[in-house]
Amino acid sequence: MSAELVHAIADMQEEEALALTRQLLDGGADPIAILEDCRAAMEIVGQRFEKNEYFIPELILAGEMLKAISAEVKPRLKHSVDGKGGARVLLGTVKGDIHDIGKDIVHFMLDVNGFQVKDLGVDVPVEKFVEEIKAYKPDVVALSGFLTLAYTSMKETVEAITAAGLRPQVKIMIGGGTMDQQICAYAGADAFGKDAMAAVTLAKAWTGAN
Amino acid sequence: MATATSVATLDAGKTAEQLLAERTQRLQDALQLKQPDRIPIQLGFGYMLAEMGGITRQELHENAEKEQELLEKAALEFQPDSAMSVYNNPASSLAIGGDRMTRFPGHGLPPNGSFQFVEGEYMKPEDYDAFLADPGDWAIRKYWPRVFPELDGLALLPPLGMAAFGHYNLYNLGVLKAPPVVKSLQFLARAAEAQAAADARAINSVKRMAALGFAPPTFMGALVEAPFDFMSDTLRGMRGIMLDIHRRPEKLLAAMDKCLAFQLEHAINWCNATGIKVTFIPLHRGSDGFMSLPQFEKFYWPTLKAMQLALVDAGIMPFVFYEGVWDQRLKYLAELPPGKTAGLFQFSDIYKVKEVLGEVMCIAGGMRNSLLQAGTADEVRAETIKLCREVGRGGGFIMTTGIGEMEGCRPELVKVWVDTTKEYGVY
Repeated sequence: MSAELVHAIADMQEEEALALTRQLLDGGADPIAILEDCRAAMEIVGQRFEKNEYFIPELILAGEMLKAISAEVKPRLKHSVDGKGGARVLLGTVKGDIHDIGKDIVHFMLDVNGFQVKDLGVDVPVEKFVEEIKAYKPDVVALSGFLTLAYTSMKETVEAITAAGLRPQVKIMIGGGTMDQQICAYAGADAFGKDAMAAVTLAKAWTGAN
Repeated sequence: MATATSVATLDAGKTAEQLLAERTQRLQDALQLKQPDRIPIQLGFGYMLAEMGGITRQELHENAEKEQELLEKAALEFQPDSAMSVYNNPASSLAIGGDRMTRFPGHGLPPNGSFQFVEGEYMKPEDYDAFLADPGDWAIRKYWPRVFPELDGLALLPPLGMAAFGHYNLYNLGVLKAPPVVKSLQFLARAAEAQAAADARAINSVKRMAALGFAPPTFMGALVEAPFDFMSDTLRGMRGIMLDIHRRPEKLLAAMDKCLAFQLEHAINWCNATGIKVTFIPLHRGSDGFMSLPQFEKFYWPTLKAMQLALVDAGIMPFVFYEGVWDQRLKYLAELPPGKTAGLFQFSDIYKVKEVLGEVMCIAGGMRNSLLQAGTADEVRAETIKLCREVGRGGGFIMTTGIGEMEGCRPELVKVWVDTTKEYGVY
């Protein structure tokens, strides 16, 4: 493990992180070890985000660094690395709403906390959630929305999940700028989370993850 | 306050002229941080009008006569001090032949979809130098062709600075006859006509509402943005601007200074030309959660504060929509001159807002849209009484929903809210 690389990424030193990556790879370092450094750095980024030291600029830049480093590392990998074995979360912004900022932060935070996340994107039709629950078998479904129109879409999505007989298999959380406890009850979800940390806390509590 | 008043007799027997005068005064008093006779209520019905009228949202946007009819009907039913329909209008967007940054019901969305912006990186990092050298030239020759596909012909124009070549530049005018340029200018002319017609309809709507006794909406005025949001919303996009904070902070700061200068010139000219001394500033990326306080102090607040101070100096009231939650940032807003600005608060803790800013600015907002959609009459009544007593205390408060749009709100709950405000909002 390269403590230097972990710190460069975690401290937002983009150029240094990339230069170090190349240096390590040229020096014959194990590509897997570099990806492991990235994971360790992302954990630190996540912790700093939780402590209100980092905000969206840092999450986005961290994502960019990860992408650039992966692009350097991937050609040198002999075989693909296996995914994690954490609990599964199905995530998406509900029908009629194309806002993705909050959803993407939740994705990032669940990911660095060891969950497997399937992100269905934005404006996700009600039926799509139902199909994906059948296929992906998530433990948790996370519905995101920003518009007031999403109040109704969330309710319809939960109703469709119930009608398909899938409601007992999943815990459902809702979140997004305009959501509150009132809408959680209205939609028939299990919980409302006011930010990405709340999403992690809820998912951990529901799945028994640490 | 807080002695219940009978709503039935409150405005009984008053003429429309009397009501208009009283309501205008009530809103003005609140805006000036004074104590009106009672708490003014402003209803931004938005898509709720389509729901009440049984029409699609597309029709609400595109059938002005129907829209006006529904607005009048709703206003007469609930009797607020001021009322409005939807804010955004697709007329010029459609006439210009396509607009990559918006989606309206029936145009890229189902007829009952909800108007939304499509944020993109319409300005690339490598465009900064051209933008800084001459934002107007870059916008017309590079940016318009990107975001309005039918304006692609404008990319053929010579640098706009050539216009300063006087007589000699006449020799460049032949390009205006090139078919792609002619086409683009025709689309521009169509958009101008559509917008002028929309403006005329908006003025007519205000007049018709006034004839029924309703005051104009408080945020009707020039429209500008915090310089950071100007760079973010329609140019760099969220991802782009957040990376700029780390990768090219000096260029971002320089670009924001440019945006501050031309937006101020525009707002002041607009207000002087129309006589409406209000400028509406909807905010997006400055709220809690997007950036850290040190970043806010460096990238967001200085130009937003400068903008508000300059408008106030020009005798204009900034009416600012503090979208999202501003709970961690209220202390900055307390730096603004007392009684000269107004703030509509979306999800901030409105009681804390009153505590910190009660002596600084008129506060609008308070009612949660979620309560008007999913609450009970008793919950709505209890919350309204609390708002009247605590946030209404001493004046300087306009009762509205936190979101400037009431889609999904249940009419019977809206009635409870408005009537309870009248009952408990008398000073």
